Amino acid sequence: MDQNILFRNNVKINGKGTQSIIFAPGFGCDQSVWKSVAEAFEKDYQVILFDYVGLGRSDIHAYDSKRYSSLLGYAQDVLDVCEALDLKDTIFVGHSVGSMIGALASLSHPEYFSRLVMIGPSPYYLNDPPHYYGGFEKEELLGLIDMMDKNYIGWANVFASTVTNNPERHEVKRQLEERFCSTDPIIAREFAEAAFFADNRSDLKKVTVPALILQCSNDIIAPLAVGEYIHHHLPNSLLKIMDATGHCPHMSHPEETIRLISQYLNEESVSVEGSPAGRGVNL
Amino acid sequence: MDEQLNHAPCGFLTLSEDGFILDSNQTFLKLLNYSQDSLIGQHVNFILTVPARLFSQLYFFPLIKLEHRVEEMYISLETSKGEEIPVLINALLRREKERTVLECILIPMRKRNEYENELLLAKKDTEEALKAKHKAIMELKTTLKKLEFQKQELLELNQQNQKYKIETKKELELARIIQETSLTNPINNDKVQMEVYYNASGELSGDIYGIYQIDPYRYGIILLDVMGHGISSALITMTLHSLFQRLISAGYPVDLVMKELDSHLHKLFNSNEEARHYSTAIYLLIDTERQKVEYVNAGHPPAIWQDPDGTQYELCSSAPPLGTFEGVVFKTNTFTYRKGGRLLLYTDGIDPLISNYLAPLVRKTVSLSLFKLKEEILQCLNHEKNVDYKSDDETFILVDLK
Repeated sequence: MDQNILFRNNVKINGKGTQSIIFAPGFGCDQSVWKSVAEAFEKDYQVILFDYVGLGRSDIHAYDSKRYSSLLGYAQDVLDVCEALDLKDTIFVGHSVGSMIGALASLSHPEYFSRLVMIGPSPYYLNDPPHYYGGFEKEELLGLIDMMDKNYIGWANVFASTVTNNPERHEVKRQLEERFCSTDPIIAREFAEAAFFADNRSDLKKVTVPALILQCSNDIIAPLAVGEYIHHHLPNSLLKIMDATGHCPHMSHPEETIRLISQYLNEESVSVEGSPAGRGVNL
Repeated sequence: MDEQLNHAPCGFLTLSEDGFILDSNQTFLKLLNYSQDSLIGQHVNFILTVPARLFSQLYFFPLIKLEHRVEEMYISLETSKGEEIPVLINALLRREKERTVLECILIPMRKRNEYENELLLAKKDTEEALKAKHKAIMELKTTLKKLEFQKQELLELNQQNQKYKIETKKELELARIIQETSLTNPINNDKVQMEVYYNASGELSGDIYGIYQIDPYRYGIILLDVMGHGISSALITMTLHSLFQRLISAGYPVDLVMKELDSHLHKLFNSNEEARHYSTAIYLLIDTERQKVEYVNAGHPPAIWQDPDGTQYELCSSAPPLGTFEGVVFKTNTFTYRKGGRLLLYTDGIDPLISNYLAPLVRKTVSLSLFKLKEEILQCLNHEKNVDYKSDDETFILVDLK
């Protein structure tokens, strides 16, 4: 076991099961976003949480602007963790850009993964008319990055300082300090550029690992059309439309998220909601 | 909503957990130019610019979910007329009886926003400048590294050179010892008395001499000066030495000795004009029984013969230096002497001093012993050398005939 990687990516392992399940955060977040969902799996699984280099409590000294200028750099983090833990046939659960990172990782080492669970994935955030509508124009994404700048995203403790004085939440506050989002403004910006301008549409058809796509209702970041596009191009995929709205169902609707993932993992066959006929997969 | 909140100097907005607008105050409606009816029930995205929609999904909703509170968050709203309004939001998550409500206050910050834009612009410029500086520093570092590498190379070369120099010096020293070993000792007996001085300008000398007793009465004294000085000249002196040693010891006639040495040099450089060296030489054969001196001077500075009464004669050159022209005839000169005469042979390293200093000195010191005379000459040499003359190989031989 490569302790260096475990330290570098702040890897945490919990749970009583033998089957491993690894949770990958989305853009700009660390493993704390999985708190509610991940805990639910500890009874039956070996639950693995980690932070990408540059986020949370990873070893920031290992950050390399060149490596992390592309999602492949983040995918390599996932592969490094799998290799360090000698994982085989693990279940990969990724949120948002984290799910694309997992899909990319599975291209070079499909044997590491038995299932991909993709929550709110998008292979490309920009519109590419007339056939693809990712949801955004380039200026709008640049506007988002500017807004991050103006909210001092990445400035130490900006969010932690908002935590209440409620003593019950004291523990939570401590966990959140410096962790929820990037602690370094340059890293936050570079991650944003790597995540929001990546075009991984052509990679979808190469994925061989079976995948569940969890599509939120009313998700402006990953709209329904994008979820359907992925389902259409990703072999062996199953699309589930969630009742949950927004882009972060694992945080806003943990129960539904847990239920759908569990169902997918447990049931031999899953009926397909809202997907083109015949593209559901028998498991 | 009470009147105070309705007209408070800030926008007030309540949202459902999913982001749908539940209520808003008049101040907020006026800010965005909407009527109450057109806003209630809309998703908050309705009044957000596109970047703000993204940002609220990525940060506002996760944060308020996790921390139940958001403070000082910057976003931009869009009025019904499409105008963009930058605002700061503070928000609180509050659980009412059956539902969860997000309560927000919003304060427009147009001026601050512009100011911050300027700051960000300046920050970006500074970052660019910093980047450029880092790049320049990196380039300088590369150059410095290169220079250091080259310096190291030079140092190594210098070290090699130094080593080579030391080795060469050692070799030359050894060569000097070998050359000096070939020199014969002065002869001192009841017939002749001699003093010799031999000094190379560098490690090796282009001068060479030989003093031989041929039989009980006859003595051969030869002095040569190969042109130039240093290693090449010294090598030639050594080839000449082996030849004249054999010829003189065997008692060959004076002219024949010179002829043989001359042909030797011609043979040596026959096929190599570039290496050609010539040599001046004077050879004297002294017969103490007949009190006769036979000599040939080939291009060499005149030797001085001094009678016991102090009268001086110059034994001048009667032939070109050895190795210059082929077929030269060397004619032996002869004179007889009286006992008590004194002879001075020297090479051209000493020549410039002769007329002004040495000749008068030798004359002045008729009664002085040879040893004393040598010391006087050396004193004179050292003194004059410092003032006027570049160093050249210096040799002189003093002979008293008793």
